[in-house]
Parts: sequence; structure tokens; C-alpha cells
Amino acid sequence: MIDKHEAVEILEGLVRKGTISRRRMVQAMAGMGLSVAGAAAVGTAVQPRPVSAAQDSDLKLLTVSEEQQATWIKNFNPLLPVGQSRWPAQAGIYEPMAIHSMFEGVVHPWLATEWSYSEDLLTLTFKLREGVQWSDGTPFTSADVKFTFELLIANEALPGSGAIRSTLPLVTSIEAPDDLTVSITLSEVNTLTLYDFAEQMIVPKHIWENVEDPVTFLNDEGDPVGTGPFTVIAQFEAQYWELHKNPNYWQEGKPAFDGLRFPSYPTNDAANLANVNGENDWGGNFIPDAANVFVAQDPEHFHFWFAESGDMTHLFMNTTTAPFDNVDVRKAISMALDRELALEIGMYNYPFIADSSGLTGGYGGFKVMDESTEAAWVKRDVEAAGALLDAAGYTLDGDVRVGPDGPMEYELNVVTGWSDWVSSVQIFSKNLEEIGVKATVTPLDFAAWFDRIQKGEFQMSLGWSGQGPTPFNYYRNVMATSTVLPVGEVSAVNWHRFGLPEADELLTALGQTSELEEQRGIVAQLQALYNEHAPGAPLWNGPMWGEYTTFRFEGFPNEENPWSALPTWDNPERLRVLTALTPVQES
Amino acid sequence: MRFILRRLGFYALAFWASITLNFFLPRLMPGDPASAMFARFQGRLDPATIDAMRAAYGLSDAPLWRQYLTYLQSVLTGDFGLSISYFPSPVIDVIRTSMWWTVVLGSVALLLSFTIGTVLGIFGAWRRSGWVDSVLPPMLLFTGSFPYFWLATLALFLLGFKYDLLPLRHAYQAGLSPELSWEFFRSVLTHLIMPAGTIILVSIGGWMLGMRNAMISVLSEDYITMADAKGLSDRRVMFSYAARNAMLPSVTAFGMALGFVISGALVTETVFSYPGLGWSLLTAVRQLDYPLMQGIFLMITLAVLVANFIVDLIYLRLDPRVRTG
Repeated sequence: MIDKHEAVEILEGLVRKGTISRRRMVQAMAGMGLSVAGAAAVGTAVQPRPVSAAQDSDLKLLTVSEEQQATWIKNFNPLLPVGQSRWPAQAGIYEPMAIHSMFEGVVHPWLATEWSYSEDLLTLTFKLREGVQWSDGTPFTSADVKFTFELLIANEALPGSGAIRSTLPLVTSIEAPDDLTVSITLSEVNTLTLYDFAEQMIVPKHIWENVEDPVTFLNDEGDPVGTGPFTVIAQFEAQYWELHKNPNYWQEGKPAFDGLRFPSYPTNDAANLANVNGENDWGGNFIPDAANVFVAQDPEHFHFWFAESGDMTHLFMNTTTAPFDNVDVRKAISMALDRELALEIGMYNYPFIADSSGLTGGYGGFKVMDESTEAAWVKRDVEAAGALLDAAGYTLDGDVRVGPDGPMEYELNVVTGWSDWVSSVQIFSKNLEEIGVKATVTPLDFAAWFDRIQKGEFQMSLGWSGQGPTPFNYYRNVMATSTVLPVGEVSAVNWHRFGLPEADELLTALGQTSELEEQRGIVAQLQALYNEHAPGAPLWNGPMWGEYTTFRFEGFPNEENPWSALPTWDNPERLRVLTALTPVQES
Repeated sequence: MRFILRRLGFYALAFWASITLNFFLPRLMPGDPASAMFARFQGRLDPATIDAMRAAYGLSDAPLWRQYLTYLQSVLTGDFGLSISYFPSPVIDVIRTSMWWTVVLGSVALLLSFTIGTVLGIFGAWRRSGWVDSVLPPMLLFTGSFPYFWLATLALFLLGFKYDLLPLRHAYQAGLSPELSWEFFRSVLTHLIMPAGTIILVSIGGWMLGMRNAMISVLSEDYITMADAKGLSDRRVMFSYAARNAMLPSVTAFGMALGFVISGALVTETVFSYPGLGWSLLTAVRQLDYPLMQGIFLMITLAVLVANFIVDLIYLRLDPRVRTG
């Protein structure tokens, strides 16, 4: 008869060799009448399973669940969007000059230490950090920054990071007077471009100047050369790969662990199975009913934070056709919608409900919060909605209202298979029936839906709106005349085709000052304009899915301590998380 | 020989017809590849970025007939250009990465299912109303009529998650690299059990029943009675006289199934996160990735045609009537 300690030791040995998993060990111990707490490493509800054979080695590797792919293909070109290049190419292998934090509303220095505008606000000068090296040992200088922007200007098919492409046409010259100074001169004043320049990933000149075509460059030979915390590709298989830390990283003692690992999960279900199993350390997956499905399995180690700072979802009405050109009709329709019920049924009550600013929760210092933000037209009130329609000349004739442009019967488009959207529009359709508006739910395949909404060939539809470091992008996308294209032309934003000249003026003014206080004042005016004209019916923000486990790593941002956004896909703020995480000390 | 030449001519025609369909069918779908890319970015991409990506994909505005000619040329040279969903990786690299595992999973499942099913069918028909004949067919039909997705998910949940007997995902243990070692081989085998096992479970009934029914009708033929009368051994009569003749329809079906192995078991690969071609094909269709779709469809076409040709050759061997006819 072996004693308890021996049994535990034997089982631990088997776990280490990979013969059995930790979970089986616990079961075996229970079978022998041993308490689970008997083993040193055991003692929690969920036993994290080893992800790879290498996990039992001494390396501390962070398991990330981000891209959904069945097979990994090598592509480390940071000037292509995530999804095409592998996830850490942007903000992982490569780094930007500075990082804007959505929650704090501040810009953190990164490869640059400070920046300033010339008196006429036309020239933006960055001072670069001293002593930064590329992972091959070459010093990082202003020539690299100048080269990166010139490369983007020369290659119009390179998407680059963030909204840099819409900013580049304003650039008249880029100077590098010394090794640590870069000056960018613009043809017109636009201080909002700071974010685009600051957050662009910088590539090394000495490597990329020899690249024939940067648009089709996979950057897949040997280890990519970047300034980021992780640059060494230790293993790359179709189903799994590892990225280890950059030995030359400029932040002393960081990263505090050896590397990242990426098992492939082709679907959200597969990723969530690994989440619930305690295999992932950090992920950006949507988890249905996360409190019960995920956290309840092991409240001590499983955490999620679905922050309310994503993109605003709208019920858009095509304002090129009557009656949606009438602001009262738009507001009445918005008032009919039961947003609470739609969230409860379709979206597990996750996101927060829109207010009448249209802005989601992430705009730190910009959003004005007072009674005007809680205007009546975003609150459900069937009677008031009916009265508004009566006054606008749309009166009940039987079950359906009839106005100067005929009966109020419309198609409400939605994407087939997007279950949260589909269940929401079904509720909205019933809501609208109550005020005498017949909205027929019309599910369309994504491609067909997207084609129609972009061309403005729809009556009502759910849709997203766009976001950015400041509310500029959002308000431009929903109510600037500059984004209104004729019906039939493909437009990436402003599908409902609504524009106000006043909004254009305010948006231009926003870019003509570098004073935060002044910018806040302008945003407040934009917010009031939005409130008055109701370009669409704001519904809720798309939450930023993010979850983490604390078996192996700690130091993640969370709701109590929101020093950064949590989602893995928050680019480039994830760099702040990657450099802040530390392995859990084994006691 | 004339038979083979005639078949080859037929295959050439079939090949042309199917590659032409491969070209036109995807283009009948609404939308364009650049737009389809943005489903997953939902407002997180700037309009100017979208324009840049459209330019990067180099989507051609040339008239369709000209694109068709370019396409025929690319089929003949085997150069399919760059994939859009995995931009800018060449289509051939995307296919090569995942095809191998699809072939492993598909052929293991098919071979086992075909062999076991056929042998069970032979024995079932030989001992009519025996144990094999009365218990297995209804049982296998029962398992075979489960919705596959449900069966696979249940297996994954029970065997993989709840009781932790088998791995949850992938073709081999993460951290290992493909190499000729017992450890790697064992890892591949344990990772195959659930995906291949569930496929076998739902497909084996069909093979067994097909073989059993064909066998029963052959067993009533005069030449079987004759063989018995000659005093040949049971084994000889069962395999060389009855099974050889009864197998012809099964061989045809096997050839077809073999050809389709390469298109991947989409649901299996998705549920068990098996790194195969099925998921790439799904992505390609969803994102209107014409180059990748064309590449994968061509592989499927070729595989089906080649498999059929092999079946033709096996027929020559099994059935002397074909040789003279």
C-alpha cells in the first residue's frame, strides 16, 4: 500500500510526462480517497490543462486566443491589417511612437518620448526615445520613421495602421533633422492626425528598403526584425505557433515572461471550450452568458470584462427617402424600440444602452454627461411616439399609419445568421407595430446586405457606425455632408446618407486646435447637434469582448482597475498589457 | 486499350466543364471580396483603409471573358496567384498547409469505414439472419442517422472535455513537430480517434448495407450453386465468387468518396479543430476569395476525376466484361 504522498508524486510525474492530464490526476486521486487539496499544485475548481508538450518546461508562455483560424499561415507584415498578418505583428513585434488610451483619454509615449506642434499647427514634431534597438541590434532612428511614412505614401495599396491612409494625403513633407527628431508638415491644419501618426507601426528601413513590393511582402523569412517585446519565432506549425521575447527589448526587464503561444481555434466554440478548460490566459472571445458559463466554473481564476467602449450599433433609416428625412419620424421610431428587451433576449444583457449622444462609453473626457444626454427620444415611450407621428401628419388608418407619402410599411434589413441582430429586429418589428409602423424583417446574406446598405438601397437596417480615438470619426460617419454619397454609389460609412453643414464646420474646427479644452467644447456642440437631429436610432455599443485567467499570469486590466483596454484586439493598446503582465509566483 | 482512351477523352471533357463551372459559379454570388472582408472588422476600419485594401487585392475590372482566359492559363500553369482571405499568401501555400491533414483524416476514415463495412456486409449476407445480420444493420443505421454535428459535439464534450480521455483539438499535440518518431506518430493516432471515429460511425452502415444487399442477390445466382456443387471451400465461394461480383457497386461508390476526401470533412474539422482544407474552403466562400476557391475546386475536380479513373482501371481487373465491351 503506497501512502498518499507517494501517490500524489507518481501522479504528478505522469502529468509532467504528458501521460495523463491534471484533470485525470484529480479524478484518480478522488478515486483513491485522497482529497484534491492534498497536492501542492492542485486546489482550485478548474485545473488548467497543459496546452502543449512544452508547457511543462520552465518557459513561461502566455496562451492567447485571438484570431479564429483553422491553420496558421506565416505573415508578419505589420502594414497589413490583423487577420491577414498574424495578430502580434501589429503592436507586438512592431511598435508605434505613442499609444492612445481610450479609457484614460491620454496618449502614452512609446517609441517617441514627446511631441509638439509648431505655432501655425502645421508641423508636428516627434522626439524619439534614446537607446531603442531593432531586434537585430541595429539602432532605431528617425530615418526608420521617415522611411515608414514615405513607404506608405508611395504604396497606396498598403493599409497601414488605424486611419493613417486618410491622413497621408495631407502630408507635404517629412524631415529627420537628427537621429531622434522627426517633423511632419501638413498642407492644412488638422490636429486629430496626431493619433494616426503616433499609432502607426514603424518598420526598419535597413530591412524594408530591400523589399520589392511591400504590399505582397509576407515578412516570413527568419525572425521578423522589430522593436517590440516579442520577435523570435520559436516554432511555427499549421495548428500552433510560439513567439518568444526579444532579447534586445528597450524596456529593462520586460517582458516579464518568455513568450506567447497561439493554438489555432477555428471557431468561437472551440476557443470557448479552451477558455472554460482553463487553457487560455488571455482572449478576445465572445462568451455567451459569461457569468454562468465561464466565471462560475472558477470565480477565483476566471475573469471577463466586456467594456462598453466599442462601436455604436444603430437602427439606420434611409434619410434620402420620405418619411425618414423627417426628424420627428426618426425620433418616433427610436422611441418605439424596446432596447432593454432586445439586449436581454439577444445579447445576455451585456452592452450598455445608448443615450442621446450616440457616443459609447470609451470617450473619456469628451462625452458630456447631463440631462441632455438622456433625452426622451432614446427612451421607450409608445404614446409619445404616436403623438409625434400624429403631429407629423402620419395618422392611423386601421393598424397602419398613412402619411403624405403613403402607408408606413417598410423593410427592415438584417444579416442572416447574426443571431443577436436577428432576434433584436424581431422585437423591434413588434415594437413598431404598436405605433402603427409595419416593419417587415428582411434577412439577407452578409454580402447582399452589405452591398445594399453601402449603396444606400435600403429602407431600415441595423448597422455599425465607426469609432476612433476621439468622437470625430463617429460624428463624421453619421452626420457630415462630406461622407454623404449619392444613392447607388458604394459608401463605407454614412449609409443612411445624412449630412449637416453645421456638423462639417464643427468637425473641421475640431482639427484646428491642439487644446484639449477647446476640443471638448466642440464635441459638446456636436453632441447637441446629434441630439437635435437624431441621424439614426442609436441602440447599444458593441462590447469589447475580453477575458483572462489568473492561473499563470496576473496584472490584467479589469473593470475595477481600467488602466488599459482588455481586449486582445485593441490595437495598439495591447502593447501596454503585454509589457505589464507578470507570471504568477509559485508559492 | 480503346476503353482507356475513350475514358480519357471523357475525362478531358469533364475536366473542362468543371473548371468552367468553378470559374463562373463563385462570380454569381453577390458582393465583392473587399466588402466581404469587413464583416469581421465592423466599423473598426477607416474608409480610406478599405480603399487601400481594394487596391491591394488587385481585383480585375477586365471583361469576364478575358478573366476567363487568364484563369484557364492559370489552371494550366498551376499558378493561382494570391489568396485574398490570407492575403498576400500564394493560394498554393494555403492549400499545401492544410491539404495534408485533410487527406490523412479523410483517407483513414474512408478506408476503415469501407473495409469494415464491406467485410461485415459479406459476412452478414453469408450467414443470413445470423448475429451480424440481425443486430448490426439496424444499429448502424441508427447511429448513421444521427445528425453528424450533434454526434461529433457530444463525443467532444463527453470524451474530450468531461472525461478527458481524448484530445480536444488539433492533429497532434501542440509543441511537437512533424517527425519520424514514435511519440509523434502516437500523438497523431490519438488525435485521429475522435474525428475519424465519428465519421466511421455515421458512414459504416451505408457500406455494410450496400454490400450485404448486393451480396444477397449474387448468392442466389446459379454459378454460386454451381461452385458449391463443385465442392469448393466456403471461403473460396464467399470471396472469389460472390464478393468479387457483389463488390462492383461498392467500388464505384468508394471511388467517388475517395475523390471527395480532399474537399475535407468540414464539420469534423470545425468541431475537432482539425487543421484541414474544409475550413479554408468555407473561409474562401464566405469571403469571396475567388483565387483560393478556384484553387481548392481544381484540387477537388482533379481528385474526383483521378479517383474515378482508378476505379475504371479496377473495373477492368474485376469485371472481364468491361474489357471486351
